[in-house]
Amino acid sequence: MNQAATTESEKDILEILAKHGDDQGGLIAILEEIQARHGYLPEDALRTVADETGRSLVDIYGVATFYHSFSLEPRGKHLVSVCVGTACHVRGAPMIAEEFERQLGVGAGETTPDREFTLQTVNCLGACALGPIVVVDGHYFSNVKPSKVAGIIARTREGLDEIEVETDERVFPLEVNCPHCNHSLMDPARPIDGLPSIRLTISFDNQHCGFNRSCLYGSFHIKSQIDIPTDTVLYFFCPHCYAELVSASNCTECGAPMVPMVLRAGGMMQVCSRRGCKSHRLDLEGVHV
Amino acid sequence: MLKLKSLDDFRTLQDRLRTGRDSDIPTIVIPAGTCGQASGASDIIRVAKREILAKELTGKVKLRITGCHGFCQIEPSVLIEPARTVYPNVGLKEMARIVEAVAKGEVLTDLLLKDPQTGEQIEKQDDLPFFSKQVRTLLDRNEKVDPIRVYNYLEHGGYSSLVKALDKRNPAWVIEQVKASGLRGRGGAGFPTGLKWEMLAKQPNGREKFLVCNADEGDPGAYMDRSVLEGNPHSIIEGMLIGAYGTGSKHGVIYVRNEYPLAIKHLIIALRQASELSLLGENILGTGFSFDIQIVRGAGAFVCGEETALIRSIEGKMGEPRQRPPFPIQKGIDGKPTAINNVETWANIPVIIDSEAEAFAKTGTKNNSGTKIFSLVGKIRNTGLVEVPMGITIEEIVYDIGGGPSGKAKIKAVQTGGPSGGCIPADKFDLAVDYDSLTEAGSIMGSGGMIVMDENTCMVDVAKYFMNFLKDESCGKCFTCRKGTQRMYEILDDISAGKGTPEHLDLLEELAVVVRDTTMCGLGQTAPNPVLSTLRYFRDEYLEHIENKRCPAGVCRELIHYSINENCVGCQACVKACPEGAITGEKKQPHTIDADKCIKCGACRSVCKFEAVDVT
Repeated sequence: MNQAATTESEKDILEILAKHGDDQGGLIAILEEIQARHGYLPEDALRTVADETGRSLVDIYGVATFYHSFSLEPRGKHLVSVCVGTACHVRGAPMIAEEFERQLGVGAGETTPDREFTLQTVNCLGACALGPIVVVDGHYFSNVKPSKVAGIIARTREGLDEIEVETDERVFPLEVNCPHCNHSLMDPARPIDGLPSIRLTISFDNQHCGFNRSCLYGSFHIKSQIDIPTDTVLYFFCPHCYAELVSASNCTECGAPMVPMVLRAGGMMQVCSRRGCKSHRLDLEGVHV
Repeated sequence: MLKLKSLDDFRTLQDRLRTGRDSDIPTIVIPAGTCGQASGASDIIRVAKREILAKELTGKVKLRITGCHGFCQIEPSVLIEPARTVYPNVGLKEMARIVEAVAKGEVLTDLLLKDPQTGEQIEKQDDLPFFSKQVRTLLDRNEKVDPIRVYNYLEHGGYSSLVKALDKRNPAWVIEQVKASGLRGRGGAGFPTGLKWEMLAKQPNGREKFLVCNADEGDPGAYMDRSVLEGNPHSIIEGMLIGAYGTGSKHGVIYVRNEYPLAIKHLIIALRQASELSLLGENILGTGFSFDIQIVRGAGAFVCGEETALIRSIEGKMGEPRQRPPFPIQKGIDGKPTAINNVETWANIPVIIDSEAEAFAKTGTKNNSGTKIFSLVGKIRNTGLVEVPMGITIEEIVYDIGGGPSGKAKIKAVQTGGPSGGCIPADKFDLAVDYDSLTEAGSIMGSGGMIVMDENTCMVDVAKYFMNFLKDESCGKCFTCRKGTQRMYEILDDISAGKGTPEHLDLLEELAVVVRDTTMCGLGQTAPNPVLSTLRYFRDEYLEHIENKRCPAGVCRELIHYSINENCVGCQACVKACPEGAITGEKKQPHTIDADKCIKCGACRSVCKFEAVDVT
């Protein structure tokens, strides 16, 4: 294995461990976090956890294998969870699971050789009224029939998050002002998605530059004068009054600060300040709390 | 955010929020719990926002995103306040029309729900038969509050029960109220909550005490806890705060399933808001009372719903149960006294304190007070969450609220209590739904799953399903549970494959008794229930599998055959769908299935629009 990569991932594990401190009860949370970052629990990571926490490797292995949500094998790019709870079962979930097995050519709990899909069955996802339920990468499919399975797989390959900005009805333009000076942030001179963009100033790692993002709610297209590495948390400023744009509350997905902008039509829009995080909020009544 | 330093600070804020509310402005309420989002609620929310902005209606039409309202069947749905008009199964185009209609004060009659019996259109939510017999003490509040806005909760009386309890300056009063209310644990066992709290309060002073909210809703087919967690997380926090004040506990833990990402997200937000307002943490509202709550996520183990296993899981160990006594109330988390209550139990606490015990106890029956939420799912027309007074009959739930069977097949049983429960046959539907009656009938109340089964559900298959579940979920500590569930599964598998003998039934019953009597925790002790209850009420079906090698419901694969009947119009849909190429036939000519090639996957039946595929 590449030496640099090993230390990199080890650093990662140490960071997670440091966050949880000496809290013994944190073991499950630690493993969950490792799995969230790596997709599974690599053997090296378990050894590091054992060394650092002073618990025996057997102990850690016991916990890692006791709970269903942990995987000791690398998982595929897409995770398909077929619910086999009672309500889904009586509505035909076993046939759905089999159809996925047939289409993907792997059994439940296995990963396709091309590492695209991992198939698993889960006991209950709690959306029992809409069964049979299938969840792919966090997207729920309800009332699934065997004949719909091929379509779900095809859509997953295309990308479930992809939105056609031009034609999608869920995408619409916003006009925003600075929450401090109320100056318009709209920038007709630098259009994105064919419309005036939103102009802001950003700062990170001692670098400052102009930054434009699409005014379309649902589009994440941006233009920045300097390249921004993914996961960087940016500081945003109004280009007119230079005040920092930062909300009282943080992103519910990643914990980074949210960036507020006032809607000219009334209300508030907030977007996450972390590059790559798509979290956003649109409140039509303004924001308290 | 505003820090509240005293009870008066709180009252001032709450009064200000209440008077500031203008309930006459028409409001579009969109339920967006997990089930709502699974049916497309997020998309219609976006369209609603788009339209409100485009038509410059901010301030004239309000929008509120809430948790689940319960009627999952009609989601994504939209409720209009104050008129209480309800629109079912709303699409993107319809949503745009609805925004415009609300602004004009009109009702779109073509979008209303039709009564399946009379064909009449029903405008108001409360007139829908699904809601008619419900008493929605808890679920009603899911409609009223946006779960990620604490001010919304305060506006509707949130945290005033906590303030009331703190203002009494007498923790014993809290316990008296909960005892007098007759509230029994909603997790399924029905232990009196007040009694549990009294025992915790009496634990020696100076030892830290823990309160736990058990949100490891593991029963497949039950999701009412998810709905309360997602839709009203502050009610759980308030309930735990009141409990902490009454019992003198310092620390709280919410143990929640990892399979509920939205519930976890809303809990994290709610906890942060409560801390920011000084409703959680040190010296709450300046009264000197301190309490904190942390979230612990489960990692997918059914047995962790058992209290001693849950404690071990919170401690970061394998979730294996241990022998009781000592009970958690004496030795729980880290050896300290711990009381564990279910989500729905906690959600009831603010209600009890607010209305006081006597008023609460008026709902329900003598030893079963209050309401209970059930998830009414399976082969039923109206599926969703129903909140009913204790003591209502199964008949009323299934037919009056549920609207009867979803298809043409007759309903034959209801399964309650998850893998620990049993099946109740249709001729016992006059049974009152309470802890004691259900136990007497061979099932249990359980956490509230109610799975309706019709003539196309095979009871041997159901028993096999649960035994498969239990053998996988048994932690393996007790030999009789580990091997007993395994062996029962194998016998049931043999019966469903047509390899059963009459002696197998005796062996099943014998095994069931051994597993029940010799295992340590609730999982093993109740594991035989699905087998025993189906044997008790549906022995005929078992015998049909054994003696005639027939599955009357057409489920058990080794015993059934697929064929095409005279309804076939020759559309070739099944020919294309069959993965094995077992179906042949020219266009517009009746098709046939080659029984040797058929793998009985059911693909043909699922694509046929003419009911031309028979299973015998």
